[in-house]
Amino acid sequence: MTNTCVATVRPPRGLAMGSLLRADSIVMLNSKTSLVLSALLPVVILVVTSFGKAQSRLGGSNLLISLALTLGLLTSCLLGFTLALAHDREIGVLQRLRVTPAPNWMIMTSRLVVQIATNLLASIVVVIVGSIVHGLTLNIGQYLLVITVAILGAAMFLAIGQALVGLVQSTNAVSAIGRLLMIFLLLLGLLGGSGILGDAMQTIADWSPVGALLALFSDVLNLSAWSGQDTYSLLACVGYVVVFAFIGIRWFRWNSR
Amino acid sequence: MSEVNVPAQPPVLDISDLRVAYGARTVVDGVSFQIRRGEIFGLLGPNGAGKTSTLSAIEGLVAPKSGRLLVDGIDVQEEPLDAKARLGVQLQSSSFQAELTIQQIARLYGGLYGVKLSRAQIGTSMRSIGLEEELGKRFKQLSGGQQQRLALFIATIHNPLLLLLDEPTAGLDPQSRRGLWRRIEELRGEGNSILLTTHSMEEAQAVCDRVAIIDHGALLTIGKPSELIDKHRDDPRVLSVAHGAPTLEDVFIGLTGSEIRD
Repeated sequence: MTNTCVATVRPPRGLAMGSLLRADSIVMLNSKTSLVLSALLPVVILVVTSFGKAQSRLGGSNLLISLALTLGLLTSCLLGFTLALAHDREIGVLQRLRVTPAPNWMIMTSRLVVQIATNLLASIVVVIVGSIVHGLTLNIGQYLLVITVAILGAAMFLAIGQALVGLVQSTNAVSAIGRLLMIFLLLLGLLGGSGILGDAMQTIADWSPVGALLALFSDVLNLSAWSGQDTYSLLACVGYVVVFAFIGIRWFRWNSR
Repeated sequence: MSEVNVPAQPPVLDISDLRVAYGARTVVDGVSFQIRRGEIFGLLGPNGAGKTSTLSAIEGLVAPKSGRLLVDGIDVQEEPLDAKARLGVQLQSSSFQAELTIQQIARLYGGLYGVKLSRAQIGTSMRSIGLEEELGKRFKQLSGGQQQRLALFIATIHNPLLLLLDEPTAGLDPQSRRGLWRRIEELRGEGNSILLTTHSMEEAQAVCDRVAIIDHGALLTIGKPSELIDKHRDDPRVLSVAHGAPTLEDVFIGLTGSEIRD
């Protein structure tokens, strides 16, 4: 319609990827739910817990900032990204994209890149707000470490979300399971990690996605020396990324029928 | 004068012995046909006959169990992206990202097909399909006819060699349907070939050069609409459903049966 010669050549990948990234970024900016889950919810938690004695009762500023960062990543990846992907699959957006000459990996990579970039920006905002309202002073190295851990955390929760959408076809079921999974992971990481459910649960919690990420964030903010627990937490996070990304890619279904 | 050897152009689409199965259920069973350059080809069949599955295999959305699919001589299974670059597709239920405006959708799909569109070019294109006032609107805010015009615009944004239209006039009013037929004729005039599926015999007779009737995954007959009527006019199955001189619809019902399909 717009050009005169009949198309016979595969389009340049740079142009296709650029178009996808721009479109996915616009979708992300227009999606208020995702922005609220990524940044606003953690910031509200940080501000609310900065009043009175709440900070020390809840385990100190480092733990609260770590919790806010983890919660932001968990909700935006497991609810925001996962639900948007399942919804687009159900209404046929993914199929429409798949009949173009853009490879499948490019369609999915664009979404993941935009989601991780959003999580990164949100994490930086959360750390800055957290350090201001909780009176914490961080150096550049700590900010860089927080960003690194945030990327790892986003990758881990995105991989879990991808596996969920891969294994469950219905959008409603993805939504319901995603919410339950989020609550379960949070409770396991927080309650189990606190030790009130016993030693066995504490060990399980330390190795759980939320527990491992909380430990890494907390140690980065504390600027404590690298410990054996940090190594285990790092290994656990990388392991979750590998296992769930494999499941999410291997069993992902592009249409809902 | 010496003779110039012009290499014969391959058919735009060459399907041979195509089989598509979902699990143990075979939905396309040994379908073969070709589409020539500049041809409008109609695939007719009742619900569940295998039309959309055939199209899905050409589009690369489902992997065939066996058979060969060539688009402009390119094997769809071996070089899917090269084949897709030559195809324009309008799915049965096209949907675009709900958060994008019409202009953003046009820019996205232009980029995916390697066509860089400026704001002015998009505006001109939208004017030509009567959507210049809707540039800032989202897909869901358009009427059915407008959505269909946009979906067709997106499918032809790169001037594809072969355009696949899956029930393009379903749910359209007569004016929109006639408008689409005109557009299909224009596209053929621009050198495109078109494969469309439809339930409308009127549409098949009005726009298709050749049609194939498919049922239970198998091709029952193929030819020009008038040839099919001539070929089957004495078939007892056709005569039993005809009221007067047999029509293409009588041939269709005669060959595929009268029972209602879901």
